[in-house]
Amino acid sequence: MNVDFSAEQCEFRDQVRTWLTENKPTDPRPDHGPGIRDFDLGWQRTQSAGGWAGISWPTEYGGRGLGLIEQLIWYEEYGRAGLPSVDATFVGLNHAGPTLMARASEEQKSYHLPKILNGDVLWCQGFSEPNAGSDLAALSTRAEIDGDHLVVNGQKVWTSFAEQADWQELLVRTDRSGSKHHGITWVICDMHSPGLAVRPIETIDGGAEFCEVFYDDVRIPISNVVGEIDKGWSVAMSTLSFERGTAFTAGQVRLASIVENLIEAAKVYTGPDGKRPAFHDDEISRRLAEARAAVSSLRAMTYVGISRTARAGSPGPEGSIVKLYYSELQKVVAHLAMDILGRDALEFVSRWVGGWSGYYLFSYSQSIGGGTSEIQRNIIGERVLGLPR
Amino acid sequence: MDLLPTQDQIDIAEAAANVLASRLPIKVIRERRHLATAYPLDAWLSCANTGLLGLGLPESLGGAGCGVQEEALLFREIGRHLAPGPFLSTVLAGHVAVAAGDDQLAAGIAAGDIRVGHVLIEHDAVDPGAGLSGSITVQDWDGTEYLLVVTPAGAGLVRTASVGDVESYRSIDWGVRLGRAEATNAPFTAWVGSGDAAVFNRGMVLVAAQLTGIAEATRDMSVAYAMTREQFGRPIGTNQAVKHFCANMAVDAQRACAQLFLAAASADAGAPDAEFQTLAAKVVATDAAQANADLNIQIHGGMGFTTEFDGHLFVERVRILEHAVGSRYDSLAAIIALPSAQ
Repeated sequence: MNVDFSAEQCEFRDQVRTWLTENKPTDPRPDHGPGIRDFDLGWQRTQSAGGWAGISWPTEYGGRGLGLIEQLIWYEEYGRAGLPSVDATFVGLNHAGPTLMARASEEQKSYHLPKILNGDVLWCQGFSEPNAGSDLAALSTRAEIDGDHLVVNGQKVWTSFAEQADWQELLVRTDRSGSKHHGITWVICDMHSPGLAVRPIETIDGGAEFCEVFYDDVRIPISNVVGEIDKGWSVAMSTLSFERGTAFTAGQVRLASIVENLIEAAKVYTGPDGKRPAFHDDEISRRLAEARAAVSSLRAMTYVGISRTARAGSPGPEGSIVKLYYSELQKVVAHLAMDILGRDALEFVSRWVGGWSGYYLFSYSQSIGGGTSEIQRNIIGERVLGLPR
Repeated sequence: MDLLPTQDQIDIAEAAANVLASRLPIKVIRERRHLATAYPLDAWLSCANTGLLGLGLPESLGGAGCGVQEEALLFREIGRHLAPGPFLSTVLAGHVAVAAGDDQLAAGIAAGDIRVGHVLIEHDAVDPGAGLSGSITVQDWDGTEYLLVVTPAGAGLVRTASVGDVESYRSIDWGVRLGRAEATNAPFTAWVGSGDAAVFNRGMVLVAAQLTGIAEATRDMSVAYAMTREQFGRPIGTNQAVKHFCANMAVDAQRACAQLFLAAASADAGAPDAEFQTLAAKVVATDAAQANADLNIQIHGGMGFTTEFDGHLFVERVRILEHAVGSRYDSLAAIIALPSAQ
């Protein structure tokens, strides 16, 4: 066991820190409207121009091709610098991009990957449907083959940034005769296609990027299929290990900062007795101490996960343990924030400008998105512990 | 950065596990329930002979010269096996002896010749210059030559005979003997301030290690039972109510273990945040052990409420350990008093 980083890794950390300090966006990130697209893509272009885009992407696709520890350092410094979380660009960088690398044709890769990395385009996800949530393989948006096109009809939901995206990673059903995992196709959909309609859904944290997407005879060239027709389930599953256990690192560091900020806030806001600062209330101070210990254990789990991945070559299903704990811990911290702020927490302030009430409402999404906590517990029970289905 | 144990460390932990499983299995606790000492002396000597008691002491004194990490792995096994005996107080006393320059005592501890019991007392009531006074709780004192007093300010030893008569009472834990005594100026034969040896912090790591072992052992007991126990014609582990309990146990055990490794590695590296990582390890492991030991009883249903099942022994040991090196509340107060966590 050791917690030391090598001299090269420390030097790399210094470089990252210096570059982020000198180049990080100075304007606050907008919390709604088309400004989000401009902001997130602009920041991606800055990173790309500085040679920091795709820190973990292979060099052949324009990335830095750096190792696990460097990925960790990048995310730690990114979180420590207080930078906005990777949001609108997330699907392109962390989901569609890696999927294309693993499964797409050379033509598809050479067309799309540089655009993603350079911040030219936004991608969105078209997986969930009204009747296919946790049970994703039950999806029924259908695609009929018509010559050299797929003709798509149906509906997707929970598609963040659908209004602003250029491309979508879309799962459609091309065969209904077999088992539900067969007959799914992973296809690249042009979001500007005729017949495609988007309806935004306002979320409880004040966001408006959530959308429903409707497909009415939307024609997609078959050349946009990634992998084989009917074999899209394995394509969809192939990206999940790409982050190799570092995906939540920036978020964890950010959560540690949030807890420290909350400790400072507790010294300012009046506590439950109406007289002293909340920090001097025994219950509040114990909960803050618990939160400090908890975010530390989250970091420790990430370090252990990275250590295991480095030894084994691939991450284990233990990633679900980190995801589950991270999700639940954010809710604990957000509830604590509301208790510390008391009546002052009743004013809605967006999390993008440091608002606690906005963060509180946002925290409810964390145990739902990316696989609910209940699904994570099923995965842990069955795949980590070996319990029967 | 690699937080996982090295192969050498894994070997040490396995060797320790083998000794504990063969010489101090849980059935020893049952067999000795009504005896004055919870462990047989020959088993204790086996632990000494296989190097468990001097793991972190210098080789010149019969130790193995290992660090906090190896001791943490040993105590994780002690927790997992619920091994009876004054391991914590004796091992910490070895470090007090080394820091105080008493090589003979340290060598005697490593060899198994000298055993040390544990004193529980309010930390601010300890005045090293005046000796030990006041109402004390004594743990596993029978057959010991010394008792360990360990506080955040420092750690010391008093002769067991010097604290007066110990009134034995029924312990909540079948594997740990408890008694009370009124000490009057019992002199410290050794005292080392926290600036000279971080005995208290080491003690917290070792307690966190035992609690981590308990969190892991109870998780494993519950998972094994959920796979085999059938109701309504199928294993109870197919039910999400039970499966999700087990998943929560896996989360708690994993984070206790990870934070333990981080604390042990930070302590050995002399990292500036070692104290924080240690406090965090103790709090996280306490909560994990508590939660898992509790759920283990619930998952075992009616059997869980009987003494024929081992689950209660884990529940009780968690409570004993919670007071070994400051309470959970003490640890939380220390965490929030630190200027910044990372």
